[in-house]
Amino acid sequence: MKRLVVVIALLTCALPVSGQPVESSPGATASFSTVTWERLLNAADEPENWLMYSGTLDSQRFSRLDQIHNRNVSELELKWAYQIPQLDRAETTPLVVDGVMFITEAPSNVVAVDAATGQEYWRYDHELPDDLRICCGRNNRGVAILGDTLYMSTLDAHLVAIDAKTGNLIWDKEVADHQSGYSKTAAPLIVKDQVVTGIAGGEFGIRGFIDSYDATTGELEWRANTIPGPDHPDSQTWAGDSWRTGGSASWITGSYDPDLDLVYWGTGNPGPDWNGDVRMGDNLYSDSALALNGVTGALEWYFQFTPHDEHDWDAIQVPILADLQMGGETRKVMMWANRNAFYYTLDRETGEFLVGKPFAKQTWAEGLDSNGRPIRVPGTAPSPEGTLVSPPVGGGTNWFSPAYSPRTELFYVMAFDGEAIYFKRDEDYNEGDRYTGGGQQYNLPMDKYQSAVRAIDPKTGNIRWEYQVQPRSTAGVLATGGDLVFSGSIDGYFYALDAVSGAELWHIAVGARVHSAPMTYAVDGKQYLTVAAGNVVFTFGLRE
Amino acid sequence: MLKCSLRAVVAVFLTAVFLTTSPAATHAQDVTANPFTTRLDIRMGERLFRQQCGRCHGRDATGGELGPDLTSGFRNVSTDAGLFRVVREGLPNTQMIGISRSTTDQSVWMVVSYLNSLNDTADVELPGDATAGMQIFNGKGGCTSCHMVSGQGGRRGPDLTRVGNRRDPNELASDLRTPDEDVAPRWWTVRITRENGSVVEGLRMDEDTFTLRLMDEQEDLWSFSKGRIRSHERIETSTMPSIEGLLTASEVDDLVAYLATLRRGES
Repeated sequence: MKRLVVVIALLTCALPVSGQPVESSPGATASFSTVTWERLLNAADEPENWLMYSGTLDSQRFSRLDQIHNRNVSELELKWAYQIPQLDRAETTPLVVDGVMFITEAPSNVVAVDAATGQEYWRYDHELPDDLRICCGRNNRGVAILGDTLYMSTLDAHLVAIDAKTGNLIWDKEVADHQSGYSKTAAPLIVKDQVVTGIAGGEFGIRGFIDSYDATTGELEWRANTIPGPDHPDSQTWAGDSWRTGGSASWITGSYDPDLDLVYWGTGNPGPDWNGDVRMGDNLYSDSALALNGVTGALEWYFQFTPHDEHDWDAIQVPILADLQMGGETRKVMMWANRNAFYYTLDRETGEFLVGKPFAKQTWAEGLDSNGRPIRVPGTAPSPEGTLVSPPVGGGTNWFSPAYSPRTELFYVMAFDGEAIYFKRDEDYNEGDRYTGGGQQYNLPMDKYQSAVRAIDPKTGNIRWEYQVQPRSTAGVLATGGDLVFSGSIDGYFYALDAVSGAELWHIAVGARVHSAPMTYAVDGKQYLTVAAGNVVFTFGLRE
Repeated sequence: MLKCSLRAVVAVFLTAVFLTTSPAATHAQDVTANPFTTRLDIRMGERLFRQQCGRCHGRDATGGELGPDLTSGFRNVSTDAGLFRVVREGLPNTQMIGISRSTTDQSVWMVVSYLNSLNDTADVELPGDATAGMQIFNGKGGCTSCHMVSGQGGRRGPDLTRVGNRRDPNELASDLRTPDEDVAPRWWTVRITRENGSVVEGLRMDEDTFTLRLMDEQEDLWSFSKGRIRSHERIETSTMPSIEGLLTASEVDDLVAYLATLRRGES
């Protein structure tokens, strides 16, 4: 097959047009080398590639590339655009491997293009049933790669393996029954020879889990239930049988520490979302950071951000790992700006709470106690007549990726200062139907709220700077070795900020909401920046 | 003529729906319109809407982060049958997905009834005289200097052609008496100070992170880059004057009665 591709590529390059030889463009004959686990372990050392959803296993979404920096970023210009043939919003972070870019599209498709031109090599369209259960749009956020194989989640709760050279389907594994309310939207994470992946469906009364599959065969190696069964003491944190329908989904990509051999993953809201009366207790391990053994999937520790959540504040954020000098020693930490509007720094060896402060407007907690547990303000639970609370359901932030720069030692996140009226209602569970127990309603026009990119010092939780953008922006953040922070906004801008000061250095109107996180890569020595806006993938580079 | 043909379409559609999908097909073959339109049906539809649709369209159907406002007409349908189909099946190639497949046809019709109730064009019993109100609107009230109705009138206030669909009579009366209380962002007034110190004031047509567009009192359109002005600030008061002291209570009732008639298909 590989030989055939090469022959076709050679033939294509040799074909004359109007008597003129065709000049091959950079990347036109790209034949990427196998993506080994060693390459993934050391992904930071090949910044010309973007080998996984968050760039590196520590999910810093930081690239060492510095050709584009804070003195020449104003020379960025559009290099190419790829139009996704679907009207759904694009939440994808593409991967780039040796000049080939892999872009996922709604509903569950993937396309491979030349990273220098945006021109297509192949596409894979996943066949979907017509009875999907999806809460919040037909989304897909990216693929993982190992060897010559891509791994993608699909809306019908399957995990598929696709040949990265041709788009041919290699295997298709049903992870869960979509008719029971399960779906999948997030990019998997490769851990050694395994594909680790989460599940969505927190609004359908599912029981969440995190799975690990053999990358070659697609066989399930381990499953970590995000709600313990009745044989486990933590099951006592769920009243009656409510654990069976307690949600705690796992719909964003996690991180991995190879030295500790721990997989880190966030979990979502307990269900039903807004009526906690039927699931009294802390509802472990919903809204938590989980540390799972990299071999067995056994739970090593957990940290629950929002016990007995009644506001749908999923801990579905990408955990960022770094080693920081704190209190005179090096601490292996995890940084986490949570949907509940608090920022946390945790010890990632033990789960110990180190730092916690609000990073966005919140009215539900007086603060955090010495263990990081919230001290709730009475009367903030949803009610039949409505209760005004900050943050709103969308959270102080949400699934869209934060970033961390080891150069500035700052954590960057898109934050939202908003509020909403939360309602509660009685609701019966019916398998495959929505099971939310209430809802929310904004009480003011969106223009009266504020979004901002905020830079947080992870050692103190203090906000170092902020850059205000239109509410409610849902773009992720990228940090680079050029001391730049890139992000987007709901009003259709892609922009660059100074990573140290937060000053705006460049922006461009891309004409549609940015719901994705930017990424960067290089081909033939030229650095590019890619971001999806609306249903278009834009790539920028320096003026030549 | 239009009504007849729509009714025929609805009848054909309903017959097809009930023959093929409804558990109650044997009892519903002669249905010619939405059979579930009682007040209870509307309430049941509202409950189902909040549960299944509210996350995208907002709990009160006024629009959310993913779905549009459904209280001021529908973009893609003009009949009950069309609305049923969109609720049931969704819209291809958009984020509008169909309602849960386990939802019965009866429940879908209830959602249709609820949505229709939000766009209700039935007469409302009001104390005022709508005809007198129209005269006040076009004359003594001076409303047409800023507001358009059916393409006639000014530009410096909201187009009121369908205001009766989106504001209830109490809200209309409140808008007239205390216009500063609830100014929609589109009608905020903004004062721009240029780098040279000159000032432009106008209605905020749109604003984003980097730019701001407005219409000044001469109805000229301006677009500013926020990075190239000295400052911008919102003026909290509405450009709309209160009718307190200008109109009698009876005249306000008449004006409200007129505005309430400005609905889809009636004006």
